[in-house]
Amino acid sequence: MLVDLPGGWSPLLGRLAWSQIPYANPILAPLFVAVVIGAIILLGLITYYGKWTYLWKEWLTTVDHKKLGVMYIIIGLVMLFRGFIDGLMIRTQQVWAVGPHSTGVFGSLHGYLTPFHFGQVYSAHGLIMILLAATPLLVGFMNIIVPIQVGARDMAYPYLNALGLWITAAAAALIMISLFVGDFAHNGWFEYAPIFELQYSPGVGVDYWIWTLQLVALGTTLGGINILATVIKMRAPGMTWGKLPIFVWASLSANVIALTSFPALQVALALVAADRYLGAHFFTAGMGGNLMLYTNLFWIWGHPEVYFVILPAFGMMSEIFPTFSEKPLFGYITMVLASMAIAGVSWLVWLHHFFTMGAGPYVNTAFSVATMLVGIPTGVKVFNWAFTMYRGRLTFNAAMLWAIGALFLLLIGGMTGMMLAIPAINYMVHNSVFVVAHFHSMLLVIVYAIFGSVLYWFPKVFGFKLDEFWAKTMFWLFSAGTALVFVPMYMLGFMGMTRRLEYVFNTSWQSYLDVMELGIVVYTLSVLAFFILLYVSIRDHAKNRVGADAWGTSRSLEWMTHSPVPFYNFAVLPHVNERDELAWRRQHGIDQVRPAHYDDIHMPNNTGVAIIMGGLTFVLGFALTWRIWWLCIVSLLAIILLMIIRSFKGDPGYIITGAELQRMEEEAYRREAQIADSHHSHPVSGGVVGNAMAYQRNDSSK
Amino acid sequence: MSAHASTVDPKKAELWDTHHHSHDVISTRTLGYFLYLLSDGMLFATLFAAYGVLSYQHSYFGGPTPAEFVKPWYTFAQTIALFLSVLAYGFGMNALKHKNKSGLINGMLAAFVLGVVFLVLDIHDMSHLYSMGITIASSGGMSAFMVLTQVHATHIFFGLIWILVMIAQVMTKGFTEETVGRLLTLRMFWHLQAVIWVFVYIFVYLWGYIS
Amino acid sequence: MEIKWRNWLKNGWRAVALAPVLLLSGCAGNTYWIFDPKGIMAKTNLFYMIVDVVIMGAIVGLTALLVVWFMWRYKKGKNRGKYDPHWSHSNTIEVFVWGIPIIAVGFLSYFAVKGTFEINPYNPTVITHHMKPNGDPVEVDVIATDWQWLFVYPQYHMAVANELVLPVHTPVFFRLTSSAVTTTFFIPQLVGMIDVMPGMRTKNALMSDHVGEYQGIASDFAGAGTSWMTFKTKMVSAGDFSQWVQQVQKAPGSMTYASFNRFAQPYIDVHHHVVYFSAVEPGLFDHVMAEVMRGKTWPLPPMMTENMVEYMQKQAAEHRD
Repeated sequence: MLVDLPGGWSPLLGRLAWSQIPYANPILAPLFVAVVIGAIILLGLITYYGKWTYLWKEWLTTVDHKKLGVMYIIIGLVMLFRGFIDGLMIRTQQVWAVGPHSTGVFGSLHGYLTPFHFGQVYSAHGLIMILLAATPLLVGFMNIIVPIQVGARDMAYPYLNALGLWITAAAAALIMISLFVGDFAHNGWFEYAPIFELQYSPGVGVDYWIWTLQLVALGTTLGGINILATVIKMRAPGMTWGKLPIFVWASLSANVIALTSFPALQVALALVAADRYLGAHFFTAGMGGNLMLYTNLFWIWGHPEVYFVILPAFGMMSEIFPTFSEKPLFGYITMVLASMAIAGVSWLVWLHHFFTMGAGPYVNTAFSVATMLVGIPTGVKVFNWAFTMYRGRLTFNAAMLWAIGALFLLLIGGMTGMMLAIPAINYMVHNSVFVVAHFHSMLLVIVYAIFGSVLYWFPKVFGFKLDEFWAKTMFWLFSAGTALVFVPMYMLGFMGMTRRLEYVFNTSWQSYLDVMELGIVVYTLSVLAFFILLYVSIRDHAKNRVGADAWGTSRSLEWMTHSPVPFYNFAVLPHVNERDELAWRRQHGIDQVRPAHYDDIHMPNNTGVAIIMGGLTFVLGFALTWRIWWLCIVSLLAIILLMIIRSFKGDPGYIITGAELQRMEEEAYRREAQIADSHHSHPVSGGVVGNAMAYQRNDSSK
Repeated sequence: MSAHASTVDPKKAELWDTHHHSHDVISTRTLGYFLYLLSDGMLFATLFAAYGVLSYQHSYFGGPTPAEFVKPWYTFAQTIALFLSVLAYGFGMNALKHKNKSGLINGMLAAFVLGVVFLVLDIHDMSHLYSMGITIASSGGMSAFMVLTQVHATHIFFGLIWILVMIAQVMTKGFTEETVGRLLTLRMFWHLQAVIWVFVYIFVYLWGYIS
Repeated sequence: MEIKWRNWLKNGWRAVALAPVLLLSGCAGNTYWIFDPKGIMAKTNLFYMIVDVVIMGAIVGLTALLVVWFMWRYKKGKNRGKYDPHWSHSNTIEVFVWGIPIIAVGFLSYFAVKGTFEINPYNPTVITHHMKPNGDPVEVDVIATDWQWLFVYPQYHMAVANELVLPVHTPVFFRLTSSAVTTTFFIPQLVGMIDVMPGMRTKNALMSDHVGEYQGIASDFAGAGTSWMTFKTKMVSAGDFSQWVQQVQKAPGSMTYASFNRFAQPYIDVHHHVVYFSAVEPGLFDHVMAEVMRGKTWPLPPMMTENMVEYMQKQAAEHRD
């Protein structure tokens, strides 16, 4: 023990004790029972159907970028659900605890969450939504799409890719376990100095927060390196920088941000840990510390992070709009320049997160103008999407609806962002729910883009389309929820309501909070619609099977290989001639030309090391949180040892022979021909789909 | 594809890769490692920024400042040890060019020993400070001083483990694509740590000594 | 002249800009504090908000209309607009696409710079430029604790907890610090937010011509008691103010550093206690700041508000309630 801790500490268990398990909590205890029962059922089902070997061989040890991407997306969706439940709890507390006469249960004066628990709920909501829902979802899509779009067989470093996934999974596990063992941070997702110091946050909550974030940062940095190297080194022959698909450009700019900004977060967190574990004085108010240093370091990462998540979302929109407008993206070069400009400016604006800190007017105006500069490339992007639709042939299927929804949300978020960028306005709405509504508008741009992409790329990954009716139902429910929650939130911001109120002191805000509660109920219905969507689509998957070019109007390389994508992506790597290669081939009737012959290819082996490493990082994070020093040392040594052993063993990979490839390819072509036949009798509803199945091949293309 | 007419003739265009060009494993690896080092550099840049903010007179809060305990010649010895270590590594890599296994191993052993000298000097320095009652908890300024210097020392520590591992790998496996790639990335790592040490020496030790 | 132009803009555009929101709010009276400023600082904030909303609203609104029009016109199968499968570039459009945001940002930057200086918390020119040479401003030292506000009136050697009373037509200058953690000082209808940090001093100022009672808020999360860390700000006439000062100066309590040390213990102000202190140790503000910089903290017990009802009983048992 290096600092004086309130509460006990033992060499064996650190700060861990029975009293840290919230078994008497009326919300957590039943949840815990439900989780245990759910886990038993799930594990039982896996055992019953004998799927453990399948799970281990095909998923847990895989280094296939598509499967890793799918697992990233599953983690993201699970955490999105958890974050949504947190949001539901926040809204319910606020609608309940209004005015001095509101009732209270479960030990709280008003509502059902005490300040201690309410703080944990909204802190977890923020952290999860940004770093464990949006980030894994986007990283998952980049993982799946980028290598195929650049015409590669895998990422540059398949093992590193798996490692990144399992470290992210460890972070998710760490924040989930904080529900049932100890407590989570209760000062907001970015904390602040000096409230995270041991004197003001004596529990383990902040420690959970530190190590969860550290793991996410590590996983994302590894992922970022991988994507950058893949784009730089693994592009198919002929794919010059000017022919790079726009989503790849977006991913590239996003990961440049990730690679350069996450170290700032890691340092900021390490220094917080030094304060809390070693008694250092980086961010203390006294003893020569500087609490503003933390705020600066955090947002020097925090603002680029915002663009790290929004740029891939912009890239997704730039893929969806051209496909369903049936024409190329307007202004490709300015789009690329705009992405790069956003990435560059992202470094110069962090201070706008704390204009109210009391910096002088010169500093504030400099950052204000820099912030508004972001509006220029963003505005360009909006106009370019609009002009992509201009002279197009628009199909409003569910994916397109989500993209258009994102566009409108971006307009609202951009408009309010330009308000917040001006200090003279910011002083009035900073720390109010207006800011909350603003950044939710922006983050919902990402959510909309993600759901659009789920619909857009789902057939590529799984070989069948999601149900259009339920997808559209979900979209309209979700959009109604968005309007019902965030329009009143903007209005409350103008009424002066500040954020993070466990108890709402002004009763005249009640009716707005009621509307927001209704909105969250509608959101819940949209979540339900999503589950039905998955159920119905999987039930009817045989009917909705698609060939390589699922939408018939897509333009980039990923639609040139089979759906689902074979584990080797391309039997023969394509030679790229044009920016929108598939559209060009389709236009000239050469999109069905097959490779003349197949050569041997080299593929990486599966490995169990990555998942074990993930498990060990989880143990390390847990041990650090609870200050179980022996376990820290053991797990750290195990990690180092495992790295050394792996480096000795290496991975020779394996060879798929040309003959084997040819057999698999021909089988895939046969399957696709059958799909094309069946679709003639059962045209699939929803836009271009019906006439998109161009799988009748003429003999000349053999 | 934009409105301009396509320059490629679709009838003659090459559609599939027929050259089977394989990706250069070593250059892909070194690129990735370079990217990692970029983030490592950012890490140190952030630490230097934190040190800059916390190295004003009031940051030491009346407690000890580097001017009171830094011994420039002692730290200069550390500098020489680290630079000779990098030089020895360079000789080793020169031997690699000539496929000289024992030359490489000798160079790396020398690099290892000199790195250990650096680390021992650092640990001795820190324990000396500790005995004087100067710790990370003394003041904000000392926190920044300790963390910056010791994060660098931690990098050196892991670099030393890596050198040992590479000696063992070269001895058992010889010069394979994998070991050579790792020797190259380790060289980048070792050089970067030396470069960062220059900044640490100048801006933390020397600057702290004179101010 | 400038003021007139501004008033015109304010009155004219305010009605237009606010009409939809005000309609939505029904006839529940004007609860939109931000749109109903009662002090010159808050009024200036609103002016810039209206300028920004008008400029950005025009661009964003037109863009939205453009998108909707394209969506209608180019819907597949309707054949309303010409389909051009290859059109993807136009220099003319590019010029507009970059030009419009650049011009808008340039225009707004001018207002951003101007506004920042006008309500710069350390030297708000909207107040200082109109100050009479010997206009006697009121000074208030604000000390935030976990979770109460202490307002020290150094000119009157007195202090008030959790209530701020100020005279109208008089500039008020604040110095702000905190004993424990960071929070933000905010009176929506009078003055914008300024952070209040331990061991540091920030400043702010306000001036109001409207007698009335306005809500003050701790707008940055400072821990369990933040939701109750509110205070009423009463703007009163000069006569009422001096009467009130006399009343406070007769109160029994006094505030020294020792009593501040007790006052600053964590306390959730659920019942909004207002306490008057007739005497205050001179330089209390600087003393608190110096102590905090020396490392003084007022630590919180672990899981303090895990059960709020129990905590309130404990607080009452300690006779602090």
